[in-house]
Amino acid sequence: MKQNLASSVRFILLLFLNIECLNEQSPPGKPEVLKCRSPEMETFTCWWKPGSDGGLPTNYTLLYNKEGKEQIYECPDYRTAGPNSCYFDKKHTNLWTSYNISVKATNEVGSNISNPHYVDVTSIVQPDPPINLSLQVIQSAGILYLWANWSPPPLVDVRSGWLILHYELRLKSEEREEWETIFVGQQAHYKAFKLHPGLKYIVQVHCMLDHGEWSEWSSESYIQIPNGQPPGKPELLRCRSPEKETFTCWWKPGSDGGLPTNYTLLYSKEGDKSINECPDYRTAGPNSCYFDKKHTSLWAIYNITIKATNKMGSNISEPQYVDVTYIVQPDPPVNLSLEVKKQVDGKPYLLLKWHPPPLADVKSGWLTLEYKLRLKPEEGDEWETIFVGQQTQYKLFSLNPGKKYLAQVHCKPDHGEWSEWSSESYIQIPSDIELKDVIVWIFVAVLSSVICLIIIWMMALKGFSMVACILPPVPGPKIKGLDTHLLETGRSDEFLSALGCQDFPPTSDCEDLLVEFLEVDDSEDQQLMPSHEKGHPSKNMKSTHKETDSDSGRGSCDSPFLLSDRSREPRIPPSAFQTPDISEISENNARKSSCEIQSTDLKGKIPYFSIGSTKLSTWPGAQLSNNQTPKCSYHNITDVCKIALGTMNVNVTSILGGNEENQQSQYSKPTETISEEKLDKQGEVESLHSKADQDRMQLLPNEKSPFLSAKLMDYVEIHKVNQDGALAVLPKQKENGGKTENCTVPGTSKEYAKVSRVVDNSILVIIPVSRVQTTPMFQEPPKESVQNLQQSQTEKNMSYCFTTPSECKIDTGGLDYLDPTSFMCSFN
Amino acid sequence: MEAWRLQVPGCQNTSLPRVPFSLRPTLGLCYAWLCALLWLLGKPPGAVFVAICARQGDSSCRFLSVSDLFDRVIQHSDRLHSLSTALYEKNFLPNGNELGKWTGKCHTSRMLTPNGKEYVQKIPREELTHLILRLLQAWKEPLSHFDQNIGHHQELSSDSLSKAKQISNMVHELKTGMEKVTEKMQSMGIISNSLNGMGSSEAAGLSISNEANLMSDYEFIHCFRRDSNKVQSYLKILKCRIWPGNSC
Repeated sequence: MKQNLASSVRFILLLFLNIECLNEQSPPGKPEVLKCRSPEMETFTCWWKPGSDGGLPTNYTLLYNKEGKEQIYECPDYRTAGPNSCYFDKKHTNLWTSYNISVKATNEVGSNISNPHYVDVTSIVQPDPPINLSLQVIQSAGILYLWANWSPPPLVDVRSGWLILHYELRLKSEEREEWETIFVGQQAHYKAFKLHPGLKYIVQVHCMLDHGEWSEWSSESYIQIPNGQPPGKPELLRCRSPEKETFTCWWKPGSDGGLPTNYTLLYSKEGDKSINECPDYRTAGPNSCYFDKKHTSLWAIYNITIKATNKMGSNISEPQYVDVTYIVQPDPPVNLSLEVKKQVDGKPYLLLKWHPPPLADVKSGWLTLEYKLRLKPEEGDEWETIFVGQQTQYKLFSLNPGKKYLAQVHCKPDHGEWSEWSSESYIQIPSDIELKDVIVWIFVAVLSSVICLIIIWMMALKGFSMVACILPPVPGPKIKGLDTHLLETGRSDEFLSALGCQDFPPTSDCEDLLVEFLEVDDSEDQQLMPSHEKGHPSKNMKSTHKETDSDSGRGSCDSPFLLSDRSREPRIPPSAFQTPDISEISENNARKSSCEIQSTDLKGKIPYFSIGSTKLSTWPGAQLSNNQTPKCSYHNITDVCKIALGTMNVNVTSILGGNEENQQSQYSKPTETISEEKLDKQGEVESLHSKADQDRMQLLPNEKSPFLSAKLMDYVEIHKVNQDGALAVLPKQKENGGKTENCTVPGTSKEYAKVSRVVDNSILVIIPVSRVQTTPMFQEPPKESVQNLQQSQTEKNMSYCFTTPSECKIDTGGLDYLDPTSFMCSFN
Repeated sequence: MEAWRLQVPGCQNTSLPRVPFSLRPTLGLCYAWLCALLWLLGKPPGAVFVAICARQGDSSCRFLSVSDLFDRVIQHSDRLHSLSTALYEKNFLPNGNELGKWTGKCHTSRMLTPNGKEYVQKIPREELTHLILRLLQAWKEPLSHFDQNIGHHQELSSDSLSKAKQISNMVHELKTGMEKVTEKMQSMGIISNSLNGMGSSEAAGLSISNEANLMSDYEFIHCFRRDSNKVQSYLKILKCRIWPGNSC
């Protein structure tokens, strides 16, 4: 039982013990000294970390002893620095001394002590962060920078020089992560450049002593870097008064620094110290100031400046001095109108009118305006400027019709500047005058060309008849007492006989002629001679021979029949003769000589042959020296004919070739020229016509020649014979029947006429010759002509005149009986 | 007075009977003067005038109305102003903005003159005429003084000096001419005869002119240029008020 009791006691004890053990408070855990810091090297504070308290209230004590001393002290001040800290005030702080510091935790159960912590005050210095960090954006000399300044921590005695602080600044823009740290040095301010305008920056600063640690960063400071700059310098551009009553000034703003900038115009008037602001910024538009009449004084100088202001600052322009009297520049004139008007004489001129600018008060005399015009054609480059003076219109006379003109006008007051040019006015100078002319001329040209074409066409159609049309034949002579009917209807025989009769004047010359004529009559055998020699035998010739036979010497001069017959016949033969003439002459002279022989043979026998042949023979041969052989003169018909032909030839050449060349002096040449000329002609008829024409041409001057004499009126008969015979050759020539032959038949007056020549195919000229007159005339003129022809060309014409008289005589003899008017008409 | 006869010579007296006899010199003497002065001064307008009126009793002289004379006065003032402008610009403008140096010390500044069109137009004709005469009077003395002491103005070129001399003469002539025209207008009843304060104004002008001697050359020329422009403007306004139409 005792055992049980013992065990139970033990159990209870154990339990108690257990309880005891379970409820036992253990001693505190080991505390730890965290750090000791001195903010200013005058005091310091130590902080510890308590260990476990062991479930009991635990008391902590800081124990320390100084270097080299055994005495252990307890913390002088647990409260100042907060819980779990110990503050050593200046009294308890020794510099340059090591402190051995430990913390002891004590409770009811037991105590615990930390590891010792050795501290040297100088090495545990960490100042407080700087305070009062302030930031400022400053612009100076156009450069923008951030000005940061701060104060050293208050505990640190910087001023006494006891401590030296070094600062460091860091900044970053708000949205960025990294700081930009800048070592500042000992100064407590800093200029930060290269900032981005428009960003918000965060700035902090911290500091440290020579030794020790950096302080905490100061609290963050924020700054907004502004986006703009102060404005640039504005510039007063100019001031202008449009009418000498008000004026306006314009300025050019400088840079606005990216900020809204306000401009003010400040002015002071001469003799007035006060500075006024512009009365009206709006009327004249932006950047301008309008001075109305109230604010405008003449003869007073304005001192004007422009001030530009924005958030970042302001700027003032250079002052400008303005005298309103001399800044007048009117508006351009208005209503420039252009008008083309006509002078009294119908010439156009341009009237320009305009009005003075509406603002300018010209009427009151306050402003006197002078004007200048300028004009140019639309496509032109250069203006023509005209100073007009004070008038408001101008007349311009020199115009280029058909052009479009631009015109402008500007004006100037008596003491001021020229206004701008007015707006351009256009005018089209009408060109209808010129156009009308052009149209008329075109019309005329077209019309004339059409007429020409028609004429050419007609010519082509009608051929040679046209020539005759244009140059109508010589009208027939109108001779009193001449029975034209008989002439026309009468036989050639009769005509021939009439011719023959003419050769019987009572004079000796006439007798010679008669002899000759008789020879002609006899020499019927020789009729064929020409045909042999020239190779141109023709029936016509034969017939003529026969007819001449019958006529020669036998027919009475009076008989008109003879004349008519004769006049008929020769027309054909000459045409036949002509051809040989041409060919022969052109071929060689030898033949001519032969012809000459032949012709001499023929002389007096066959007048018609001889007429044709003598033309050839006489010229080169016997009559080489003289165109018209005085010998042959009127002794026989052939001679006369020769003469006539000769003269004719000369005349022809004188007309055609002679004018160009001096070859006329040589007498052989005329024939050549004639022949050549003839050769040139394509057809016989044509050449004949031309010859006939030339003959007629020759007649005209003869008609007027002084050789006309009243005596010529004595001739007996002249018949006009129509050119019926030509029909055989060219029927068309019927129309040209006007070609006439003048046949003078010696009448009862016993004066005789000669056949002066047979002109080609169609015209037989019969010349009344007065014995007395003709003899000298036929003989002399040729001589003269020889002399004359050898002279200069100027005299040549005269020589022709001399030669022509011989023919003139001959022809005029006939012409007397002609109606001169008819000649004139035909030639004109 | 003689000088002015270039512009308003005696021949007008022959044509306009209202001119007092006292102003009518013998024509021969007048022309002699004219020729001499013409030669000296070389004034084309005068020459024209003389040419017109050279023949006595010429009808062309008769048509020289008061308005024609007034035109001549205006022409004269034009010329005066352009002369002073030439002088001013030649000597001072190249040196920069000389207006900045301007102190506003014209000796005529104390005279109350209208400085705008409407003010000018409000002033009665008589007063305006008076004003013109006063302005001219105020310059007469200083200009002759300026002219006399011309040797002292070494900074001025000889050309400028001759211009200054010319200006001095012309102001004299202009004033005389203006007085003539005024008399004529008064006699014709165009303006009233209320201009009897001339004597006092002349005295005032003299007192004013002393100030002018204190001015610098620059100020002097500047002031004169300004006042010649005033005179010109007033003359034009006055003419257009009296004779509206024509070139007005």
